[in-house]
Amino acid sequence: MEMKDLLRVNMADLSVTVEPVPEAWAVLFVKKYGGRALTDAIVYHEVPTDADPLGPGNKLVFAPGTLGGTSAPNGGRLSVGAKSPLTGGIKESNSGGQAAHALARVGLSAVVIEDVPADKSARYVLVIEADRAARLERVDDWAGLGNYEVADRIAAMRPEGDKYATISIGPAGEAFAKAAGIAISDPKGYPNRFAGRGGLGAVMGSKGLKGIVVSYAGTSSLGHADKEAFAAATRRFSKALKEHPVSGTGLPMYGTNVLTNILNEAGGLPTRNFSAGFFESADALSGETQRDTILARGGDVSHACFSGCVIQCSRYWVDKDGAYVTRGPEYETVWSFGADCGIADFDGIAALDRACGDFGLDTIEMGATMAVYMDSGALAFGDAAGALAALKAGLEPDNELRVLWDGAEATGKHFGVARIPVVKHQALPAYDPRPVQGIGVTYATTPQGADHTAGYTITANILGVGGSVDPLKPEGQAALSANLQIATAMLDSLGFCIFVAFPVLDIPEAFAAIHEMVEAHTGDKWGADELMQLGREVLTMERLYNKRVGFTAADDRLPRFFYEDKLPPHDVVFTVSDEELDAVFDFVEATAAQMGLQQ
Amino acid sequence: MTIHLALFASLSKYQPDGLGGCQARAIDVADGATVGALIAGLGLPDVTRVVFVNGRHAAADQPLCDGDRLGVFPQIGGG
Repeated sequence: MEMKDLLRVNMADLSVTVEPVPEAWAVLFVKKYGGRALTDAIVYHEVPTDADPLGPGNKLVFAPGTLGGTSAPNGGRLSVGAKSPLTGGIKESNSGGQAAHALARVGLSAVVIEDVPADKSARYVLVIEADRAARLERVDDWAGLGNYEVADRIAAMRPEGDKYATISIGPAGEAFAKAAGIAISDPKGYPNRFAGRGGLGAVMGSKGLKGIVVSYAGTSSLGHADKEAFAAATRRFSKALKEHPVSGTGLPMYGTNVLTNILNEAGGLPTRNFSAGFFESADALSGETQRDTILARGGDVSHACFSGCVIQCSRYWVDKDGAYVTRGPEYETVWSFGADCGIADFDGIAALDRACGDFGLDTIEMGATMAVYMDSGALAFGDAAGALAALKAGLEPDNELRVLWDGAEATGKHFGVARIPVVKHQALPAYDPRPVQGIGVTYATTPQGADHTAGYTITANILGVGGSVDPLKPEGQAALSANLQIATAMLDSLGFCIFVAFPVLDIPEAFAAIHEMVEAHTGDKWGADELMQLGREVLTMERLYNKRVGFTAADDRLPRFFYEDKLPPHDVVFTVSDEELDAVFDFVEATAAQMGLQQ
Repeated sequence: MTIHLALFASLSKYQPDGLGGCQARAIDVADGATVGALIAGLGLPDVTRVVFVNGRHAAADQPLCDGDRLGVFPQIGGG
């Protein structure tokens, strides 16, 4: 009922070994840690803080959450962890797709990829069969293939009727690009879900690993300590997910891109490289327009990105003939290549999304990067075709534009752009922190670098979910961000999609159902206190690791221009004080002592 | 006085001109009308709403001024 085994894969000696989670942590951690908590624990304990992220000392860890492989609604997210080549600190990159359930169902709590191959031209695929037999196969001729081609090659390797999930990188990961991400397959087998942020695709590329296939044919959903209690809790949870307007109606109808119009209305939609908070063509890029267009072209507008999701916010973008182009695109991508680049053409954005998906690049980082490149004057804002050509230029190793694949900061420095929107070297996502100050606290303080999901204050700042905190003022933002960062770290460790947060923040039964599910599944005591303690322990590991890497309070700040340049239409700057930012992690000292970790 | 009214997502079909869509329309309202009074007159379904006047969250009792932009959303969210 509890998956306790790791699969360790050494890319230097090509050994593949199943072993229990290390005894040293077994008492403290194995009963609690899945997902982000487990990837963090492995990186914390096994990756030296001075390791080269692209060298033999880094480890790439894949872990389903504690509830992965069960029928817990929306419990199938995958955590991918390592030392990040982009931020330089500890990274957890979180994704949908089927791989988490597949790994959990074959009885693995994590896959740990270690060391690097001696031969830099070697490419491998890791094959994990449903009985957990695992091997590395040499696939040098897969070098340079896009993720969609890799998915086809894997399909050709598998027996007829097999059920499997894929994890892969495209040419960006192989080029060790700092914006490279890792693709995970959706239930239809498209490699279109992403562990996008933080350059983990480059880590996978540095290890010569082009892909992983996990077969789960013939496996079952995992058992529980208390089957009846688990089933009852899942029913209560599912009911709350369906009842709440966001998870039950808004997301399935319009997808994540339902946010474009409301962020634009609030004056917080970063436009033309964070120079304004309102885009004149926002409606052309809205979730409403997206839904109408997909339906008119004969596409579908609601499906799950992993089995067991009851929200089903995903959709596929189709061309004028109704043929699949790419997923979504999601709000973050429609923003990054849309308003931030001054582009108002949905098909143009979809083509950019497809290219990022195939090359294996984080769309948040790449859109923000393209906007910085446009701000240099080298390309006009609004030029979708030019943006696609610039993105593709990175395929040539000696092309000057390969620098775009290293992200917004590298691009801004190379082309002499003053306005570079990054924190801890990672590009900001789709909310300007000046009129949405809560998210500014999250961007500045999360150990992950500028990251919106880490503590999604948009809930209370904009959406009226979980209370209301005026986005335009500094009051209340630090507490809002801190609490959400703790809760999110907990959800990421259990394997939940963070969209469960909408009902959890408004419906007490939903939060209760979570600890009831974990307790019924594991047989250990889990109440509200244990859930929040889990979140604090995750953040404590991350803060301590980053401190040892050399991060200081200076890294917990937004770039200067957010404090000085008034953003229209509200003409505001970020005003949360440094003292408040530095207090967000006040709990770390006490939590570290409880965990027996050195500070 | 003239108010610019935008209704979004599942509320767009309640635009007084019946044309749907999310663009703002100029509508005539009585001087001193409040946010709540204007919304009550639209016949919206009884769902939680998020309301902005000129880009700021607005309470039902807020009085409207000539030329104000009113944006009304059902409760939505994403990531």
